[in-house]
Amino acid sequence: MEDKELLEKFAQPESRNMAFNQLVRKYQEKIYWHIRKMVIDHDDADDLTQDVFLKVWKNLDNFRQDAQLYTWIYRIATNECLSFLSSKKRKFFLPLNDVTAELMEKVEASPELAGDEVQMKLQKAILRLPEKQRLVFNMKYFDEMKYEEMSEILGTSVGALKASYHIAVKKIEEFIKRD
Amino acid sequence: MKKEVKLSDIPRRNPYQVPEGYFDRLPMRVMERTAAREQEQVAWLPNLWRPLRLAMAPLLLLLLVFVGVFYYSMTAGQEKQLMNLARVSDTEIVDYLSAYTTIETTDFAELNTLREQELPADVLNVSATAAEEELEYYNLNNIDY
Repeated sequence: MEDKELLEKFAQPESRNMAFNQLVRKYQEKIYWHIRKMVIDHDDADDLTQDVFLKVWKNLDNFRQDAQLYTWIYRIATNECLSFLSSKKRKFFLPLNDVTAELMEKVEASPELAGDEVQMKLQKAILRLPEKQRLVFNMKYFDEMKYEEMSEILGTSVGALKASYHIAVKKIEEFIKRD
Repeated sequence: MKKEVKLSDIPRRNPYQVPEGYFDRLPMRVMERTAAREQEQVAWLPNLWRPLRLAMAPLLLLLLVFVGVFYYSMTAGQEKQLMNLARVSDTEIVDYLSAYTTIETTDFAELNTLREQELPADVLNVSATAAEEELEYYNLNNIDY
C-alpha cells in the first residue's frame, strides 16, 4: 500500500488500526535495523522501535504531507536513538568513552560476530566514530540512502553529509588498520 | 608494517540477527501498546501532572473530613431539638400560646380577603357581643399598627 493511501485510511476511524498495522509492517525492519546499529543491544532496539511507532501513532494526524513519510519516521527514530544514548550517559554519569566501551563489549559478546574477525573489527571501528558521524555512516553504508534524504532526516546540508561520510570512511579504515 | 585496508574490500553485510519470528510479532505488540495508550488518554486523572495529583490528595481528604463533621453536627442538632420538643407537654404548649400569641395586622388582612362562602356558618352568625368577647380574649396591647 502506498504511503498516501495509508495516510488516507489512517485518517478514517474505521480503517485507522488496519492502516497503522500496515504502516508498521512496511517500515519496521528499516527502523529496527537503523536503531539496532546505533544501540547494538536487541532489547534496547526493540524498546526504542516500539517507542518510535507509538510516537508515529500519536503524531501521524499532524504529519505534513510535504515531507516523505519514511524520512519523517526515520527522523523520529534518529532522535530516539540520540536521546537514548544521551540518557544513558546522564543516568550513569558516564563519559562518552564509557558508553562506547559498553557498546564495544556488546559487540564482542555478540554471537553473530563470533569467528568473523573482519566484521568484528569493522563494527568496533564504527563504534569509535562520534554518534552523529556514526549515524551518517550507517545510513549511507548500510541503508544506501541518498544524501538528499539523509539531509531531510538529519537537518544537515548535503555537502556537510558528504564530507562527514568521507571522513568517517577514512577514520574506519585507519581504525581497522591499527586494530 | 600494517597492511592497507579499504572499506570497499570488506563484504557489506548486516552482522546482527533478531530472534526468530520477531518481525511477525512486532506489529501486534505495537498495536497492543497503542490500544493501551488510547485507554490511558480516556482516564484523565493519571495524565494529570504528578505533583498536582499529590497536592490534590490531602486537599480532598480535608474536604471530606470537613463535610463529614458539618453533616454530623447538623443532624445531631436537629435530633436534640426534636427530643427537647417531645419532652414539652401539651398543656405547657397551650399555656404558652395563650400567653404569648398575638394577632398580627396580617391576620386581619387575611381575614378581609376571605370570601363569605369560605367562612364557617358559626363565624358568619356571630353576634356583636360575642365578637367583642372573642376580641377581649386576645391580648391586643401589643398589636402593631
